[in-house]
Amino acid sequence: MLKKDLLELCLLQLLAGGDKYGYEVLTPLRAAFPDTQESAIYALLRGLGKAGCTSWYMAPGGGGPDRKYYKLTPAGQARLEELRDQWRVMRDAIASFGVE
Amino acid sequence: MKQAKPLTKEQYLKKFSRAVRWRLPPQESEDAISDYRELIFQEERDEAKLVEELGEPVQAAHLLTDVKTYRRWLKIFAVLAVGLFLLAKWAWMARSSVYLSFAEEWWYPVWVMAVGLPLSLYWFRRYGQKNGPLSKRLLVSLAVLLAAGVGILLWFERLTGIVLWEQLPDGAQQLSDQVHLWLTAEMYAGVICALTALAGLVLAKCYDRRWLALYILGVTVAAMLGFIIFHLKYMNLDYSGAEMLSELTARLIPIGALGLLGTGVALC
Repeated sequence: MLKKDLLELCLLQLLAGGDKYGYEVLTPLRAAFPDTQESAIYALLRGLGKAGCTSWYMAPGGGGPDRKYYKLTPAGQARLEELRDQWRVMRDAIASFGVE
Repeated sequence: MKQAKPLTKEQYLKKFSRAVRWRLPPQESEDAISDYRELIFQEERDEAKLVEELGEPVQAAHLLTDVKTYRRWLKIFAVLAVGLFLLAKWAWMARSSVYLSFAEEWWYPVWVMAVGLPLSLYWFRRYGQKNGPLSKRLLVSLAVLLAAGVGILLWFERLTGIVLWEQLPDGAQQLSDQVHLWLTAEMYAGVICALTALAGLVLAKCYDRRWLALYILGVTVAAMLGFIIFHLKYMNLDYSGAEMLSELTARLIPIGALGLLGTGVALC
């Protein structure tokens, strides 16, 4: 699993917890991966949208202008399951070397 | 490590918009700009850390770029831009640095047009996008360019019509001044048409593919002027003005008609 896949896993997991607007997606991911810029995470989010893993809709923001909310699609849910499986395999493989 | 240059939110969005419009198709770039506007103008966003958090605007645009399509566009743009440079150079200097034995020099500008029109139409109709209603600025620009092109061609026709090379009238000096004035106007008009065509090309990529009409009309007028100026350079003085005009007209009409047809296709 590459770092990109880990980011993708975390991003999809985040959206699995509920629909979120762009800043809500980017901020926690940047906090978790501090050496990754938000533009890279946004590019990933956009790529997932193009691949049909996420969709979006406009909804009122907190008193401000409408915001673009992202949601997981069934294809995104399937991709999330796939990445989770890959992560478990990798985690077990690493653990077999005694890495905690 | 190189320190990121701080930018205000407005500066960041402006730089990002410029970069993304050049790289992405119009609809995609507008979507990305709208998303970035939302991300940048979040209340919680610290302007001092904008570049640090989001990355350099050009780099951000690069991350959204389909590299293969973008490189293909750069190649097409390079070919078309070189053609425009040649048209401007020929209009300004009335000579070519390259001589091909199998063709008369006056056909060179028409070759640029013959390559530029199909190539640009193919690329923009395949990969370009319309974006909103037809721009009034585009229509005004086309009208101005068309009027300027027709005006300078009619002026040339009037001049050529009164020149009978074997018996110059008494007002030869006045006529000579007029010819000199026309040649100066042709030089500037050729360069301006090439620059206008370049602007049309950039606007077609960044905003709406129908701006390609400006490129096509600009190339057409510049090619026609180049065609005339090279003809004048090699003119046969045994011809009367009327004979030369008739020969030129017979060649210029299909070139102009082709350009207008291309302009129409670009607008559709």
